[in-house]
Amino acid sequence: MMITKRLLLLFATALVLSTFSSCLDENTKGLLPEEKAYNSATNLYINTVATLYNYIGGNSDSQGLEGTVRGLYDYNTFSTDEAIIPIRGGDWYDGGFWQNLYEHRWTASDEALYNTWLYLYKVAMLCNHSLAVIDANRSLLTDKDYLAYTSEVKAVRCLFYYELMDMFGRIPYVTKDQESYADVKQQERSTVFHNIIDELQACLPYLANEHSNLEGNYYGRMTRPVAQFLLARLFLNAEVYADDDWTDKQHPDGKTMTFTVDGLTMNAWQACVHYCDEIEKEGYQLQPDYAFNFSVHNETSVENIFTIPMDKIKYQNQFWYLYRSRHYAHGGAIGMDAENGTSATLATVHAYGYGTDSLDTRFAINFYADTVKVDGKVVTQESGEPLVYQPLVMAENLTYSPYEKTAGARMAKYEIDRKAYADGKLQDNDIVLFRFADVLLMRAEAKVRNGENGQSDLDAVRRRVGMPCRPATLDNILRERLLELMWEGSRRRDLIRYGLFHKAYDLRQPIESESDAHTIVFPIPTKAIDLNNKLTQNKGYKTEK
Amino acid sequence: MRTPVFLTLLFLCLPASTLVAQTRHHGKRPVKLQIPIDSLTVNGTSLGSVDVVTENHMNKGLVTNPLNALTGQAAGVNITSGENRMAQLSSVRVRGTTSITGGNDPLVIIDGVYSDLSALSSVYPSDIESFTILKNAAETAQYGSRGASGVIEVKTKRGSGTQFHISYDGNIGFESKYKTLDMLDAPGYIATAQALGLYYKDEGSNTNFQDIITRTGYIANHHVAFSGGSKESSYRASLSAMDHNTIIRTNSYRNYAAKADLTQWAFDDLLKIDFGVFGSSQKSHDLFNPWEVFYSAAAQNPTIPATTNADGSGDKNNTAEQINHPMVLLKKKNDTKNLNFDAHIDMDFNLLGLLSDKSNDEPSIHLLLLGAYSYNSLENATFCPTWIWAQGQATRGERKTESWLGNAQLKFDDTWGAHHLSATLLTEYQKSNASGFWTLVKGFTTNELGYDNLGAASTIPYGGTGSDADSPSLLSFMGSLSYTLLDRYTLGASLRADGSSMFASGHKWGAFPSVSLSWDLTKEPFFHALSHLFDIMRLRTGYGQSGNLGGISSYYSQNLVKPIGTVSVDNTPTTTMGLFRNSNPNLKWETRSTFNVGTDISLWHNRLVLTAEYYYSRTTDMLYQYDVPVPPFTFDKLLANLGKMSNQGVEIGLGVTAISRKDMELNVNLNLSFQKNKLISLSGEYNGYQLTAPDITSIGSLSGAGFHGGENNIVYQIVGQPIGVFYLPHCKGLVKNENGSYMYDIEDLDHNGRVNIEDGGDRYIAGQATPKWTLGSNISFRYKDFDISLQMNGAFGHKIYNGTALTYMNMSSFPDYNVMSKAPEMNIKDQRATDYWLERGDYLNFDYLTIGWNVPLHSRYISRLRLSASVNNLATITAYSGLTPMINSYVVDSTLGIDDKRSYPVYRTFSIGVSIQF
Repeated sequence: MMITKRLLLLFATALVLSTFSSCLDENTKGLLPEEKAYNSATNLYINTVATLYNYIGGNSDSQGLEGTVRGLYDYNTFSTDEAIIPIRGGDWYDGGFWQNLYEHRWTASDEALYNTWLYLYKVAMLCNHSLAVIDANRSLLTDKDYLAYTSEVKAVRCLFYYELMDMFGRIPYVTKDQESYADVKQQERSTVFHNIIDELQACLPYLANEHSNLEGNYYGRMTRPVAQFLLARLFLNAEVYADDDWTDKQHPDGKTMTFTVDGLTMNAWQACVHYCDEIEKEGYQLQPDYAFNFSVHNETSVENIFTIPMDKIKYQNQFWYLYRSRHYAHGGAIGMDAENGTSATLATVHAYGYGTDSLDTRFAINFYADTVKVDGKVVTQESGEPLVYQPLVMAENLTYSPYEKTAGARMAKYEIDRKAYADGKLQDNDIVLFRFADVLLMRAEAKVRNGENGQSDLDAVRRRVGMPCRPATLDNILRERLLELMWEGSRRRDLIRYGLFHKAYDLRQPIESESDAHTIVFPIPTKAIDLNNKLTQNKGYKTEK
Repeated sequence: MRTPVFLTLLFLCLPASTLVAQTRHHGKRPVKLQIPIDSLTVNGTSLGSVDVVTENHMNKGLVTNPLNALTGQAAGVNITSGENRMAQLSSVRVRGTTSITGGNDPLVIIDGVYSDLSALSSVYPSDIESFTILKNAAETAQYGSRGASGVIEVKTKRGSGTQFHISYDGNIGFESKYKTLDMLDAPGYIATAQALGLYYKDEGSNTNFQDIITRTGYIANHHVAFSGGSKESSYRASLSAMDHNTIIRTNSYRNYAAKADLTQWAFDDLLKIDFGVFGSSQKSHDLFNPWEVFYSAAAQNPTIPATTNADGSGDKNNTAEQINHPMVLLKKKNDTKNLNFDAHIDMDFNLLGLLSDKSNDEPSIHLLLLGAYSYNSLENATFCPTWIWAQGQATRGERKTESWLGNAQLKFDDTWGAHHLSATLLTEYQKSNASGFWTLVKGFTTNELGYDNLGAASTIPYGGTGSDADSPSLLSFMGSLSYTLLDRYTLGASLRADGSSMFASGHKWGAFPSVSLSWDLTKEPFFHALSHLFDIMRLRTGYGQSGNLGGISSYYSQNLVKPIGTVSVDNTPTTTMGLFRNSNPNLKWETRSTFNVGTDISLWHNRLVLTAEYYYSRTTDMLYQYDVPVPPFTFDKLLANLGKMSNQGVEIGLGVTAISRKDMELNVNLNLSFQKNKLISLSGEYNGYQLTAPDITSIGSLSGAGFHGGENNIVYQIVGQPIGVFYLPHCKGLVKNENGSYMYDIEDLDHNGRVNIEDGGDRYIAGQATPKWTLGSNISFRYKDFDISLQMNGAFGHKIYNGTALTYMNMSSFPDYNVMSKAPEMNIKDQRATDYWLERGDYLNFDYLTIGWNVPLHSRYISRLRLSASVNNLATITAYSGLTPMINSYVVDSTLGIDDKRSYPVYRTFSIGVSIQF
């Protein structure tokens, strides 16, 4: 057996030698080792700060703040009385997804809910990573740049934590890159709320005081007015966000909550008004033509504050909503496909005064209704009959309706980009996230809630579209928000703030046990709890196994 | 035809030598040359069951792909043809799925050189001498990690002897569709719509689009081979051509291949050099999206004319958004060109012979050196015309791979007294350079140029153009020993170390041992009384480990960034680089441990051959994209080594030569395998804390109008179950709605008072998608110069989800989408996926029937002339109500077990063949 031993020895020697050889080195080609991406101040900016703006919009399900489907926008829109995707025969059943949204029967195991959670946290974690990288490469930067870069990243992180807190209430608030698993802990809603406010306020001085919607050096970026808008929104909803138990039928009072704003002590409503004033000072105003804000080339709007830059060639962000709403024949007439889905609810159509003498002028801009014309020609259906949308016909399930395919007023608002790609999903109209009309309505509401007069702001909004003034009551302001901000993803937050979200509205009856208002936040996704058993479920929800 | 009939021949070290001697015998050459079959086959350590499928046992009939020749011929080897059955690349599973992430394809070795299923498909079946299938760890050990999922060794024909031979093989065949879905025709469609008072569009035709998109398929093969040689050298060269137009109008394949091999002996036969080159060119015109074509052909309004409009567009039901005019869809292009070139040189030095004059004595020491180069280029081009794709779109892409292999082996072999010892030392290094490039353009104003002039498009959108490159390498060392005592007890052992560039340093190397034992009872004195009866009676067992890295690709262990997208920076669109996945520097080898025990029995001069084997394998450190908590992770998946999976099974092979006379011979061969897979766990510890992947993960769901979202998930991967189980709501029957239609009555399985058919709700495990039993059987009969052969394959114990019927029986999508003829009567207005359409998938398929005539010629020049006629896909016996039960039941992907509107029309092939040897 000498031979065996020798062979084994030889074998062992060969093995040892090989470990010193370089023939198993992996030299990266095609992908870049991370540290090489931060070799200059410019690249550090591009690959830590600018790269985050890739995630504001999106091009696949549940990605992006707006523009795509089954994500943040859908959870904030189809769960309300604003809009609905009814079942139309073989179309739009989709396992009951849309019906469940409308009825508030979502569950913790919904795939889209978890995907939305993953999307929002992905960006928050990328922000943490960017901050760590900027810190590690601080020597490349001047102090001014360092503060500007880190503040911009932190403010973007606040935007995403804001959406997480708004959707899920009690969430882990992780601000460290590669945080250890053990330190990922769920925070109460008010804690997250206050953290976001503190951080945003700290960032404000270092953010560029520039208009982010204009093409230029600040296009699409988190600038000071954008952060101020977010702060105004946070304060306006303070009663909701500062409430750690939203099922106990009590909530803190915005009037008595105190915050420090620019060295002054203010209550929530005053703080909201303060930031609205700041935005106004920066030169934003109502665009004379409401529709211009949503036109193909809306980059020069004086009203838009924060947008998702869209360009069918330059950027990948997509906008699915017109495609998803219009009838097939309507799509055919403009040379694009269509999905014949999204419609206005009956409540919305009535709110606009459809069928009455006092039809709101914004109806024609926000909706396609009645006989559809393209390029002046009436669009015809397969049957040769004209395509007529029926705003006054709507149900959760239209399957047996004679108007199965044509019921409902459809989404308009955004001008159709006739040169768009991908059936209109790659359009040139920038997607509007924040705009000044909302600032005016926020200010009006905050003033009224604070016992002041909000009439002038409400009047400004109504006058711009040629509508007669209405008294600035809370109810009228809520109504105006629907009319003005239709299709802009605002409704869920508004209904919750008014305490109406869990009540009956439109065709919807509250579901069993909804009287405790537990549905004003979504459940923590089952999968998130499975993977981190320190997370606990929100009140009123079951974590189905 | 008189050689042993059984499809499974059992290679063992000593008995193998005799077999080797038969196949390798070069006239008067010394027997010692028998040892190397080719440089990589270490027969000295091959203990266990090795299936050898020689030319005699390969499938006959119309065989256009070497894997077709193998279908049903070896136990435990499941070959799934592509969707269109014969033309597309088949997938192969040896003893089932052992890894979730990848690396389930068996390793293909062609003449000692590492290859893959795609390259094998370009080799002409007539060029192949034998397939050897290695399944047990002790056998695959010599190939290390690449052989973890089994090995198919392909030995191609070489020249032998000094005589010049020329041969021609050819066949032509026609394919004819015999079954399509039974949808409403135009009168039925109109009558149904009228009866229901529904608006319908009547364009006046009565079109069966399922017929219109098909044609009579045509297939032709030609193969010419020359061989010859001298005392010291031999050569063989062959040329082949295959031309295949499938039954779908625009779907066709071409394959041209050339192959040349040279063997040279030197120094009194002490050095043997083999040199071979192989080149092939494959072109295919595939369907751009077969699912869309078949969905449209079945569900399009039948009153629409079959012809397209003058401008090339076609009418359609505009309210049916998911489908289109099938003839226009066929104008989408998806063309692929695949070029292969391989060259290898192989040298076998008889060291002792060269260094001394004792050339004929034991021991022998051989040095074998192998060098191989292979080049592969894959080009794909697609085009979607403006009629069906707004503004049109074209893509082009290519992937080129070059790969070098160097291998050195030292083999020692000695016999003294009752002892036989052989030992091998091996080292091997493989390096590949792969690069890819692709681009996508949009905005065409003409459909004439297709993808041939991308400049005709107006835009190149961001993200559509890119390239990549990597160059992984693998270094291995192996030592193996085989010791035999008294010709009957054999012990084998090997240890292999594999190192891969894809792992981070510290994790690169894995060591994989194997041992095996074999006992030949026929050589025992106590067995002598029975020795006239038994030719072989052997017991064997083995245990071994192998590593697998098929689940990962380059760079997974490194923290790298890639272009994420373009944003505006200083008013200029700027591409940013960013992270895109969680990296895992701790990645290591996935390990598979296999135990096997078996017996081989041959009786009455091989008139009855039986082999039986049990195996159990366990995959540990299983590579999988585990779910990780977000936060703190950025991305929700992490490739890590955590899980466990087991496979076990029994394989039985039986060969009976019922009649064996001069004029008549009847052989019946049967192989049966039982296979059971279980996903044991998908959790473990990573970086100090426990990761638990969800126990239930969906793999496959339905698609089409109104199918979107988790409620349409059908096939799942569930811990504790075989991979790929149906997890479905239970339908108690049909219930009548107020309006007279019916819906599925779904049971509230969790008794919570509410039916919830999402993943976590009212679902139960309703069966498995992979067959429990598979059967392959061949019956061949010869009378004088005529022979007939019938091949049957079957699979049992699994289920199929008939999503096609669920869709086409749903009246709520009518008349936008056409329905099956039976649908109006059943009047189901529901498309919720329940177990109502889950059916048994058992089937027995008559793969082919071939009749051959070896024409008795007494020509001076023609040594053999054979004529044959075959029918392929003769018939299928099944209770499954869909088009065909032969869907994907083996490969774990989104189509596993789900028949969802994508089955090709079922067709038969009729062919005739001629084979001449001069």
